[in-house]
Amino acid sequence: MAPSDLSSQAPRNQARCERGDTAASRVRVRYDKTGKLRFISAIDLGRIWERSLRRSQLPIAYSEGFSPHPKVSFTDALPLGYASTGEYAELTFAGPIPLQPAIIALNAAFPDGIAVRAAVAVADGDPKLAKWLLASCWDMHYPPGTVLEAAVTAVEQAAALPVLRERKGEPVTVDLRPAIHQICADRACVRVTLHHLQVPVRPTEVDLALRQTDPALPPPALVVRVAQGRPVAEGLVEALSGELVEPLHPTDMRLPT
Amino acid sequence: MSTSPAHESVWPRLEPILTSVRKPARYVGGEGNIVVKDHAAADSRWLLIYPDAYEVGQPNQGVQILYEVLNERPTTVAERGYAPWTDMEAVMRAEAIPFFSLETHRPLRAFDVVAFSLAAEVGYTNLLACLDLGGVALRAADRADDDPLVIVGGHAAFNPEPLAPFVDLACAGDGEEFVLEVDQVIKAWRRDGDWDRTRLYAELVKIPGAYVPAFYEAEYSRPPSSKLRGTFPRRAGVPYRIPKRTVSDLDAWPYPKRSIVPLTETVHERYSVEIFRGCTRGCRFCQAGMITRPVRERSRETVKQMVADGVANTGFEEVGLLSLSSADHSDILGLCGDLADAYEGTSTSLSLPSTRVDAFNVTLADELTRNGRRTGLTFAPEAGTERMRRVINKMVSEADMLRTAETAFANGWRHLKLYFMIGLPTETDEDVLGIAELGLKVLAVGRQHGRRNKVTVSVGGFVPKPHTPFQWAAQDAPEELQRKLGLLKRRVANDRNLNLRYHDPRPSVMEGLLARGDRRVADVVQRAFELGARFDGWDECFDLDLWRRAADEVGVDIAWYTRRQRDPDEAFPWDHLDSGLEREWLWSDWEAAVKAGEELEDCRWTPCYDCGVCPGLDLQHQTGHLPIFSGA
Repeated sequence: MAPSDLSSQAPRNQARCERGDTAASRVRVRYDKTGKLRFISAIDLGRIWERSLRRSQLPIAYSEGFSPHPKVSFTDALPLGYASTGEYAELTFAGPIPLQPAIIALNAAFPDGIAVRAAVAVADGDPKLAKWLLASCWDMHYPPGTVLEAAVTAVEQAAALPVLRERKGEPVTVDLRPAIHQICADRACVRVTLHHLQVPVRPTEVDLALRQTDPALPPPALVVRVAQGRPVAEGLVEALSGELVEPLHPTDMRLPT
Repeated sequence: MSTSPAHESVWPRLEPILTSVRKPARYVGGEGNIVVKDHAAADSRWLLIYPDAYEVGQPNQGVQILYEVLNERPTTVAERGYAPWTDMEAVMRAEAIPFFSLETHRPLRAFDVVAFSLAAEVGYTNLLACLDLGGVALRAADRADDDPLVIVGGHAAFNPEPLAPFVDLACAGDGEEFVLEVDQVIKAWRRDGDWDRTRLYAELVKIPGAYVPAFYEAEYSRPPSSKLRGTFPRRAGVPYRIPKRTVSDLDAWPYPKRSIVPLTETVHERYSVEIFRGCTRGCRFCQAGMITRPVRERSRETVKQMVADGVANTGFEEVGLLSLSSADHSDILGLCGDLADAYEGTSTSLSLPSTRVDAFNVTLADELTRNGRRTGLTFAPEAGTERMRRVINKMVSEADMLRTAETAFANGWRHLKLYFMIGLPTETDEDVLGIAELGLKVLAVGRQHGRRNKVTVSVGGFVPKPHTPFQWAAQDAPEELQRKLGLLKRRVANDRNLNLRYHDPRPSVMEGLLARGDRRVADVVQRAFELGARFDGWDECFDLDLWRRAADEVGVDIAWYTRRQRDPDEAFPWDHLDSGLEREWLWSDWEAAVKAGEELEDCRWTPCYDCGVCPGLDLQHQTGHLPIFSGA
């Protein structure tokens, strides 16, 4: 599989909508950032959202002030180069609109690589979106044939995982272990669930830890954020749907998402 | 040819290296409104290249228009390419990744035509880098019969001689109709499959506006003069002078219809529509104004339709109404009023590049900003004293400028930007200081309306351009421009609300060499490319010493091309490209400028002064202005 042909893109027009036939003015969405769009920075992504909303002609609300902007807020930025099927945003419309047609219109306006896969209405008093996003599940795709089991086992069983990180130009040693909720491998793919800490741990740092065990490891060809949500013993509960994202099982033949 | 494995997408090789280069979004394509077609189902394939960085080239209007015009033909493919930044070029060379298109990431050699848009001279070394990375011989004479055809067009192509050995074909003038005619020849060439290069050239030169440098030879006088004697056809049936192409009815060519929407930041993020092409203001320094005559207006209805569709299908927040002097459109107030009505209270903003210095321009700007978001307004008095402005035929009095500033600041504009040039013919230090004086007077007007009002004075070095009355002029040395900038800096140093902006004068040496160079200058371009010159329009990349070294090595004296005032009857390297302007008229206008500082009226309203364009094209200005006839 070429890294960019992610078979997991949400099919357009088929995004799942909780309370789908209801109308809402505040909406939370889970969306994909895949394919060529993974090379687009977070700032550029915001502009793409603005223009796509304008193209969709949905009645998005605008901020007040000298230069009004559409009311879209994003959660923590995905580092440049990573793909994702688990990005989240919150939209505010000028008034209640039916969700399902809105998402269809929005997906038609996005460039290839961005697509909303689920939307839920937000009720007054709901906790902030960030409160729901406690951890990220990542898939790190290494070149086919890479053997990962030993390194993954070593990382999983380590009591501490010191890696070097640059902070304000100074190298500092941080322990990755507390950030790792679960880590497992299936063939050439490592799935790691990382707690969202004040200073986020990135998959590249997990790769560094794996490399400390196996220096011959090639760099991952593609890193994908699968989903965000609440870590549980069985995996990760996805924030909008409540569905469980399970660890990889080495016998699984299904394609990683 | 598109079935060859060598012509398949380079994306699988590109993708793994993209995180190692700066701004990888430049290289991924995938933008809104791009056209992706099946190469195998097409019988001609064009790669349109703007030889500068993506963020500069992507908004270019010419590329966008030709991209749509060509892609509307079902069997024609047009894709885009931009010069890779220096870090990317290094990686591409290390990884043997050829120059590629953005739509399908196919290598340059998968295309039948490689067409470069030359808005200015600064992209010439990048053009060679693109060809070289694409695996095409730099010199047309070294290309095989079935190698891609290399074309240049755009304003700088009105003197293609410094690029003559590298290009197969140059287009003089408007490209819309021209590319479609070339496309027909390309299809026949690819269908027959057995044409040699000369046959291909012979078919192409039948197209009006087509210049095939290989069919012409430049002759020079013996040293020590070494002046050009002329550029002459070397083949029967080839025209002595190549007439420029002119699209006569812009309403029949309503492009762009679907502007590409970039995924990453570019220099102009807006839906742009030309409200007219051509200009008759007669500013003597302005190449664009001279070579695009006559004036051809787009109607209010067409512009409105284009804007409505363009905003809907791009999602751009801003609409730009482009032209060389937008306030001169005969229906500009009605047009602006209608657009302001349509977008008042929406999140779409409208802009008009404002270069004409008069209160009417402020009225228009006010109309387009009814919501009151009034920040900066730009004017181009171009010179600091009325004497100097008479020489360049920019007919603006100081009273006009101050009245305009008064209106602007009174209507809530807080920041005026004023554009000027230094190094103009006959310029004195008094003229240079006049720029600062005018800026300070405008600022004083601004202060009466608010302590925090600001004025920016932007100063560029004048470079004489072909096909203008100033084509005979000597260019100032960079040291002289630097000295003049010093005068300005000292004069305005004490005023914090007057912001002086200027460019490094050194790149104008290269620009001057390329603007008025002949075929011998091509060797300098190639040597500079070989020595590593790239992105010559970027201060962080430009290296004048490298260009000087390149010129020395090939025996070209840069000063001879830039610093020398030309003889009245001297042959110019661009004489065989016919912009429509009569040489006699250009010469008399040059003499009027430097001897008497005589002004010339705008011929849209006043009687024809026989510049030569209209009768040659069998066209007249197409405007809604009623001509004013003098008693004579």
